[in-house]
Amino acid sequence: MFGARRSAALAAAAAVVLAVAACGSGGSGGGSGSGPTLVIDSTFDLKTVDPGREYELTGQMLTHGMYETLLTFAGDDLTTPAPGLASSYELSPDAKTLTLTLAQGRVFSDGSPVTADDVVFSLQRVIGMKGNPSFLLDGVTVAKKDDTTVVLTSAEPNAALPFILPNPALSVVNSKVVTANGGTTDDTDGAEAFLNSTSAGSGPYMLKSLDVASQAVLTKNPAYNGSAKPAYENIVIRNVQAATQALNVQKGDSQIALDLSGDQVSGLDQGELTVTSGPSAYTIFLFLNQGADISTATSNPQYVSAVKKAIDYPGLLQVAGTGSVQPASMIPTMIAGSLPAAEAPKQDLAGAAAALAASGVSGQTPKLAYPSDFTLLGLSFQTIAERLQSQLAAAGITVDLAPAPVATELDNYRNGKEEIGLWYWGPDFPDPSNYLAFGPDGLIGKRANWPASAAPDIDAAAKAAAAAVEPAERASRYQDFQRSLNAGGPFIPLVQPATNIVTAKSVTGAAYNPIWTLDLGSVGVAGEQ
Amino acid sequence: MSSSPFARYLLRRLGVSALLIVGVTLVTFVLTNLVPGDPVAANLGQRAAENPATVAAYRAHYGLDRPLPVQYATYLGNLLQGDLGESQQTHRPVLTDLQSAVPATLEIAIGAIVLSVLIGVGFGVVAAVRRGQLADSALRLVSLVGISVPTFWLALVAFYVFSFQLDLAPGSGRLAPATTPPPHVTGLYTADALLAGEWETFGDALAHLMLPTLVLTLYTVGLLTRFTRSAVLEVLEQDYVRSARAKGLPGRTVLIRYVLRAAMVPILTVVGLAFGALLSGTVLVEEIFAWPGVGSYAYQAASHLDLPAVMGVGLLVGIIYLVINLVVDLLYGVIDPRVRIS
Repeated sequence: MFGARRSAALAAAAAVVLAVAACGSGGSGGGSGSGPTLVIDSTFDLKTVDPGREYELTGQMLTHGMYETLLTFAGDDLTTPAPGLASSYELSPDAKTLTLTLAQGRVFSDGSPVTADDVVFSLQRVIGMKGNPSFLLDGVTVAKKDDTTVVLTSAEPNAALPFILPNPALSVVNSKVVTANGGTTDDTDGAEAFLNSTSAGSGPYMLKSLDVASQAVLTKNPAYNGSAKPAYENIVIRNVQAATQALNVQKGDSQIALDLSGDQVSGLDQGELTVTSGPSAYTIFLFLNQGADISTATSNPQYVSAVKKAIDYPGLLQVAGTGSVQPASMIPTMIAGSLPAAEAPKQDLAGAAAALAASGVSGQTPKLAYPSDFTLLGLSFQTIAERLQSQLAAAGITVDLAPAPVATELDNYRNGKEEIGLWYWGPDFPDPSNYLAFGPDGLIGKRANWPASAAPDIDAAAKAAAAAVEPAERASRYQDFQRSLNAGGPFIPLVQPATNIVTAKSVTGAAYNPIWTLDLGSVGVAGEQ
Repeated sequence: MSSSPFARYLLRRLGVSALLIVGVTLVTFVLTNLVPGDPVAANLGQRAAENPATVAAYRAHYGLDRPLPVQYATYLGNLLQGDLGESQQTHRPVLTDLQSAVPATLEIAIGAIVLSVLIGVGFGVVAAVRRGQLADSALRLVSLVGISVPTFWLALVAFYVFSFQLDLAPGSGRLAPATTPPPHVTGLYTADALLAGEWETFGDALAHLMLPTLVLTLYTVGLLTRFTRSAVLEVLEQDYVRSARAKGLPGRTVLIRYVLRAAMVPILTVVGLAFGALLSGTVLVEEIFAWPGVGSYAYQAASHLDLPAVMGVGLLVGIIYLVINLVVDLLYGVIDPRVRIS
């Protein structure tokens, strides 16, 4: 009964095999190129490497390795924008006009020169596609002045623009190549699939292959003529969970592990590996909803003050592990406008008890909402929430934990429904203006139902900071804004978790950068200069 | 041909299967849309999600701005043309994603099920025949361990011991970083490497397959040993087995011709279910071995509310179980003449 069918299937299979064998390539199976290969393990946060569309952590790293931006940051110094494809820039006194002079002689990977037209096309494409990174250039228009000059005009004063331009999403693409493959400067653009198989940039590496679920392979760009020194023939970036990353890097199967927590790092053999630890630019914070309709407790200023004084901040750092620090403000330590450690909120149990009594709140148990399935740099929000609950309880403040998956809880957070929320903020760009989100009526201020009318003095401080142009004045205005937030705002900065980069001894130059994690073009081979 | 009872049976089964597939898509669609949470919030950055124009463009791109029944009808219409929509996670067609995830999972699932059947059924028969003796106790202990040990823990320990400490197995992933995948034919790296005559790649792919396959095997072996043992014991107590023995038939003949054949029907059911479970992806094992299979894909899709991808995985799992069910039912007929369609 099945005999005929089975033999037919076999015959078909055999035919396929023969056909394939006939046109089989008999390829080498090995890697190509003669130089060394670098293997990086990372837990992927990756959707695409189309510069105008990507805004995920892994995408930023890959894009930064293949493309260049007008301005960049040298090493881990985030305080001064450095020349990139633009050799110099000038911001007008009213901070509305940014004039950039292009570097001479730079070329794309196909050898064609990088022109002002490429710059204009690239930035207009980001704006026009209305994708994730479009907001970076909100209110900005881009125009070519002459062959070597590009002018960015902002509707409002925009002193942060030189700090925004280094974002890899604002990379300059080869407009001829991208246009030939469906690229446009509006939302009809269809170049994403092409850019996810072939890069069209001027950076030290080029895209060899990409599978957003498992791995990306970059290869050295032979036409590259910038200042970086790409040291590897190929770079393989693999999607690997942290526990497996630790084993791979110890075994020598990979040379860099990006996602190990403090606990995992402390167990490593430091003789064979180099661990670079330091605070990340993320701020984990607590906010208390100021909407009386949401909670009469959390909207009470004395209650907010009691919570601020009840928290045992050094105790939270123990949970967060080595390398983490307590930020003194919402702005993290490495960004201008942050406050010195001495000004950080401190535990004061007597003060907390007094404030709690003054608030008149009793018998209420606000819900502390947080994304329970979320870990940030190996730090679980579940753990932090539990620790906070017990710390508050020790000071006589009772809160109920309200865990939910991140995809669900995001909605409540964004719609301002959380009574107390535990979240984090990573800078879109290393400029204090990014933290105006925490002002009254700001992006996150709104989520705490905190209008400008509720805190006119803090609102004034935020507006004064936003209006400042000169760098030193900006820094001091933003510090004033942070001080007023600490004194009277609904936000409590808790922890800047540590980032740990583990590298083999053979690897040099793997420094952490909050925007693109790792500058692939700077990663070198020990002993080769 | 079409008038033969078997053909009629098969047509009816296929018809029912098609209806069930539609049912699966409907259930998946309703469930994914019942989940609290907005895919836009989960997939757009916080700044982008604040901009009405960006959100509108996103909703329009994924068709989320239309009423749910229209969305579902559109989905079904596209499905008939082989279009499963575009994943919000990978920005690729879901079909493309599945075409790369399914072979990865298939590669470890096939190995695991073949090994489990050989070992598990063998163990189960021995345990049943040696009931109450030392061998039985030992095998029952092995199967208990196999069933009880959390697979992800076992995966991590196996990886630590065999790859990291003993260096008997390579690191994570499907291939070593320096190895280029073979020319794509089936998506199974081992098969594709053989077809292309790339022996080195074949060896590398096979070495990477070993550990995840063995970890999955241990669990399924435990399951099958227990099940086979009880199925065989049940048959051994039947009158006709005793009669066969009394007639003086050799023990081996009785065991193979009578006992195993009768016990095979329930065993086959469990094998089918176990294979289905393996094919649906084993999330944690895949995560630990950095294996880009169906399990990892499903997990990623669910955690990002990637509706098209979740629908795609739901559909795939539905089809897998329907096909396995059909194959198992047909095999019953081969094994047991009483259920044969004539």
